Amino acid sequence: MNKFLLNLLVFISFATLASAQDFSYGKFTIEDVHLKNYKNDTSAHAFVLNEFGSSRIDIAADDHLKIFFKYHTKIKILDTKGFNKGNVAISFYDSDDTHDEVIDIKGVTTYTDENGAVQIAELEHSKIYTTTDNKYWKTMKFAMPNLRPGCIVEYTYTKLIQGFGRLPSWDFQDDIPKAYSEYEVHIPAFWTFNAMIRGPLKLTKSKADIEKECFSSHGSKCDCSYLTYGMADIPAFIEEDFMTSSKNFLSAVYFNLEEWTNPYSGVKIKETKEWKDIDYNFKHGDYFGSQIKKNLLNPYIGPVIAGKTTEVDKAVAIYRYIQKNIKWNDIYSRGSDGVKKALDKHTGDVADINLALVAALNSAGIKTDAVLLSTRGNGLLNTLYPVENEFNYVIAKTTIGTETYLLDATDPLLPFGMLPVKCLNDKGRVMSLDKPSYWIDLVAKQAQNTTSNLDLTLQANGKLKGTITTYSMGYAAYNKRKEIKKFNTADEYVENLDEKLVRTKILKSTLTNVDSLDKPLGEIYEVEIDVFDNLNHNRLAFNPVLFDRHTTNPFKLQERTYPVDWGVSSNDRYTLTMALPAGYAIESSPQPAGVALPNNGGKFLTEFSGADNVFTYSNVIQFTKSVYAPEEYPYLKELYNKIISSEKAEIVIRKK
Amino acid sequence: MKKVFTVLFLLGCAIGSSAQSSYEVSKIPKELLPYASAIIRDENIYTQVDGGNTLYHIKKAITVLNKNGNDLAHIVVWYDKSNVIKGIKGTVYDEFGKLSSKFSEKNFEDQDASNDFSLFEDSRVKHYIPSIGSYPYTIEYEYDLKSKQTLNIRDWKPNPYPGLAVEKSSYTFACKPDFTIRYKEINMPAKMVAGYTKDGIKTYTWQLNNLKAVRNEPYSPIKDTYLSTVKIAPKSFVYAGISGSFINWEQLGRWNYEKLLANRQALPPATIAQVKELTKGITDVKQKAKKIYEYMQGKTRYISVQVGIGGYQPFLAGDVDRLSYGDCKALVNYTQALLKAADIPSWYCVVEGDNSKISMLDDFASMGQGNHVILCIPLKNDTTFLECTNQKIPFGFLGDFTDDRTVLACTPEGGKLIHTPKYTAAENLQTRKANLVITADGELSGNMVTIYKGTQYDNPESLVDETAKEQVKALQKMYPHISNLNVEKLDIKQDKKEMPVAMETIQLSARDFASADNGKLYFSLNPVNRSGSIRDVRNRTNPVYINRGYVDEDEIVYTLPAGYKPDMEPLNVSMSKAFGKFKMSTVFADGKLTFKRRVELIDGTYTKETYPDLVTFYQEIADTDNYNMVLVKSN
Repeated sequence: MNKFLLNLLVFISFATLASAQDFSYGKFTIEDVHLKNYKNDTSAHAFVLNEFGSSRIDIAADDHLKIFFKYHTKIKILDTKGFNKGNVAISFYDSDDTHDEVIDIKGVTTYTDENGAVQIAELEHSKIYTTTDNKYWKTMKFAMPNLRPGCIVEYTYTKLIQGFGRLPSWDFQDDIPKAYSEYEVHIPAFWTFNAMIRGPLKLTKSKADIEKECFSSHGSKCDCSYLTYGMADIPAFIEEDFMTSSKNFLSAVYFNLEEWTNPYSGVKIKETKEWKDIDYNFKHGDYFGSQIKKNLLNPYIGPVIAGKTTEVDKAVAIYRYIQKNIKWNDIYSRGSDGVKKALDKHTGDVADINLALVAALNSAGIKTDAVLLSTRGNGLLNTLYPVENEFNYVIAKTTIGTETYLLDATDPLLPFGMLPVKCLNDKGRVMSLDKPSYWIDLVAKQAQNTTSNLDLTLQANGKLKGTITTYSMGYAAYNKRKEIKKFNTADEYVENLDEKLVRTKILKSTLTNVDSLDKPLGEIYEVEIDVFDNLNHNRLAFNPVLFDRHTTNPFKLQERTYPVDWGVSSNDRYTLTMALPAGYAIESSPQPAGVALPNNGGKFLTEFSGADNVFTYSNVIQFTKSVYAPEEYPYLKELYNKIISSEKAEIVIRKK
Repeated sequence: MKKVFTVLFLLGCAIGSSAQSSYEVSKIPKELLPYASAIIRDENIYTQVDGGNTLYHIKKAITVLNKNGNDLAHIVVWYDKSNVIKGIKGTVYDEFGKLSSKFSEKNFEDQDASNDFSLFEDSRVKHYIPSIGSYPYTIEYEYDLKSKQTLNIRDWKPNPYPGLAVEKSSYTFACKPDFTIRYKEINMPAKMVAGYTKDGIKTYTWQLNNLKAVRNEPYSPIKDTYLSTVKIAPKSFVYAGISGSFINWEQLGRWNYEKLLANRQALPPATIAQVKELTKGITDVKQKAKKIYEYMQGKTRYISVQVGIGGYQPFLAGDVDRLSYGDCKALVNYTQALLKAADIPSWYCVVEGDNSKISMLDDFASMGQGNHVILCIPLKNDTTFLECTNQKIPFGFLGDFTDDRTVLACTPEGGKLIHTPKYTAAENLQTRKANLVITADGELSGNMVTIYKGTQYDNPESLVDETAKEQVKALQKMYPHISNLNVEKLDIKQDKKEMPVAMETIQLSARDFASADNGKLYFSLNPVNRSGSIRDVRNRTNPVYINRGYVDEDEIVYTLPAGYKPDMEPLNVSMSKAFGKFKMSTVFADGKLTFKRRVELIDGTYTKETYPDLVTFYQEIADTDNYNMVLVKSN
């Protein structure tokens, strides 16, 4: 993944002052108006002709420090499928104590009317609406007027961002291509930011200049570093199935405040520059260290571990207790408002729950650390230098004996020691309270495994009768439990299954370990399956893969740009043992198949063995890795082709 | 009745003070438990019209039995400037009816109610998800809602969702004795009891006990036909400062026309001139209208705009003319204005837009039965309906969103109930003919022509106006059972008639379509049009309802590799039932295998006893669709 990540430190070089690079508003060329497609991507429904952004830290009219973020874009809309680019929504932060603003919205549509004349329609201010999304966010919305295929929409606005900590990032890449995109930042020397460029695309312009005395406030003055990042001919970003966060692959530049000097007092304040700084903040923060350090949960824990002797038993009991007693409110977080409060209210966010778990385990004398991570949807962490904001989740890590367990108590169906797939995202940072923080790999301990055994006898009436036994393990068991819990009772689950499998009658069912999360989940069904109307034929053919046959290939594209990422490895085994009625014998059977992915990446195998009137067919589908590189894609696709064609083959039996 | 009301009130107090025991889960009648994820223990809705306002007091206690019931206990309250909520609060009880926590307005999440891109002025939602770690639990809550109008009175639906049982529920509508109402009961087992409060307020009360949870049954009729509802409509009302009265559709339509629609159609002279120019020389009214409609389609785009009078009034035609966008009301109003400029009269029609065919109730006029508007041109013997929010849809074609249902036309002569066109099973026809060659090493190649008609016209829409690259991707998804599908040529033609036709022609190839195994060659006989099976439902309660019929006809002629023949007897299946017919045949002759498949589904309502037949019907189709052909070398 590191090849997508390129670090670029901001430093001040010595050049003369340069002027703003924004392109002029409301100007268009006749060539642009008459363009029929985009030469670099003829499949585009719209593309950006030019895009410009500028961020500047400065003193606002109200004498407060603000970031002035100016945005300006000009988009050519080629056909009606590009019309959504004329619907604009600008979100801004507006909470009790922080009020960002969006000002100076201007927009214009240039289009050709019915008579072929070029017309201009301005965005009307009365047609701009502001909505409150929630207590933190507002959105300004407007629809550009008079869209026609071939029109050009252009708009600009300025966002005033309170303070100086939230310097906007810039996405060079979007779902439509861009001919050119440029972002400049003006940072007074009082502030130092890290800039980080992500994505595989190369900048076509990168400049660092000095602006003399660009900032002054109440007598203090300083120069600014003036940085320009430009990119030309940016292709559209096209999402593929089974990929992680597009953020990992989109070309963009991000900024993170490293340190700053108070312009009035001259005091230098280090923002998080090194891990030891972050460690310190977390250890002493009310929202983190304090929640773990104090034995806040002692009174709760006593009864939970009463009678438990081994550390593992205690740990499991505490884990179950937290899982059951705090319901996750679907909010991700890395800091808690109070673990005790969460436990009392029976509800909390990720940090409330998992820091409560860390605290509770420590209370019981089981040494446990919190681990910060970024979920798959939130994108990969950079491991070059610390950025606190990149973390959006926290879990617990404990070692008992020689075994290390990673724990997430937000989901009551997770077994002890299993992380949800969303957390399996490269690395996590262990925030130990008594030693420096360090990285660990977040990989699944468990796979997604199933084994199915069908033991069936073909009856004289053409029906198959016997037992189907399926065991689901690891992530497969977790998913199956989620499925079962959708029903009010296990009986309703079986009834639904029975109703879904029209040709199969479930005569008796046993589900085992539905609530014993650490054990494989078993489903044992006594069934009768309708295969043939009768046996009045000399020859009968049937497919030995009776259920969930693969008939379509999940991979349809010719080639792939991004890795296939399933999160976990998997292994599925299927075995059918079948007895034929007297007087029948096997005429022909499928050939054994065997395909493997390179580097032991996985395989598909089938076997057939039979003598007389009993035979066994089995197949194994195995993916040993959770992530496959684009180079491995053709093999993956071919493996599925093989599975599909092999699962078409039939067994023919005939009357002796 | 006065007494009854006071007694109820006192009872309420009594329950409040001895709350411990009343919500004990063990007290739920056993017969309410099957298929229930949650149970309404006690619901009281009190609606009162007071001057120009409608006041609601909602009080509800619901026991959640398991995780699935959480959503049913999720409290969602919509509000905006003219619908104000007050005093929302509640209490949570545990399994034994013991109080475990309380909550109030500050515990609610407050959110913008619009999703996607919508220019909303101010419509918001407050919601609260009870956070209880373990089941079962009971949540009791109440709030007041003030709606600053008296036109639209909310329906009472005591059991609105599957999986929800009702132990006790009551609804009271209260108003001054001179405030005349009409009401309509649908599947209402309870009898209305009329009375007066001690203050001389007239009341209408319904009370229900022990309603079992409804199960989700596939192919059920439209929900409103089997769930219980009480609808109430005022005779006289005030809405956004405009007063009016109605007792039937004629009057409601007239009010709509006169108060909300009239005088909103002025167009700039240039546009009027443009319309005249556009229709110059055309004598046929319908052709004129078509020209104008297509002009409107080319000029505008749909954007949801929930502003104006309570979302019922379109914004001015002049605004649409200038901005080239609008919501359904604005675009219908604008199209109407353009037609008027060419002296073509048309009607603004309120409709419930949905894939299910939901009609305005013939015998009960009330506002709020529709969520969309379309335009009707009342031509003699040739009434034409126009969907104005879609830039691509053919003139006069409605598709499956507004077809075959009763709508309210708001005309200068008053409201009229009219019916939109129905597309019959025979009209919704898809026919496919393919000539394909399979080689001995399994490669497939050939061409395939598919014609889509009626409501199936839309099926290949994702291919239209796309580049070859995107079309191939879309085709690979449309025909997923041809692995390694390679499209050599695609042609898509749309004939935008009133009964539109789309034609898709593909030149295709696919390696490894047939796979060799043990000297045999296997391939799927029907890789292009597959139907799924449906879930069986034992002890079904609802009749079988097929919302829309269709006919699919497929014919594939496979040229088999030389020297091969089918290993088994040819597959021939046919079935004929009241609701549909199915026939599939294969014939092998002269090295060619001809596969034919015809499925016809006829819309209508059938008895619940028909359901097992429908399950078998679909299963039979699914099984034959999944059939793998086996070829052997002939000696």
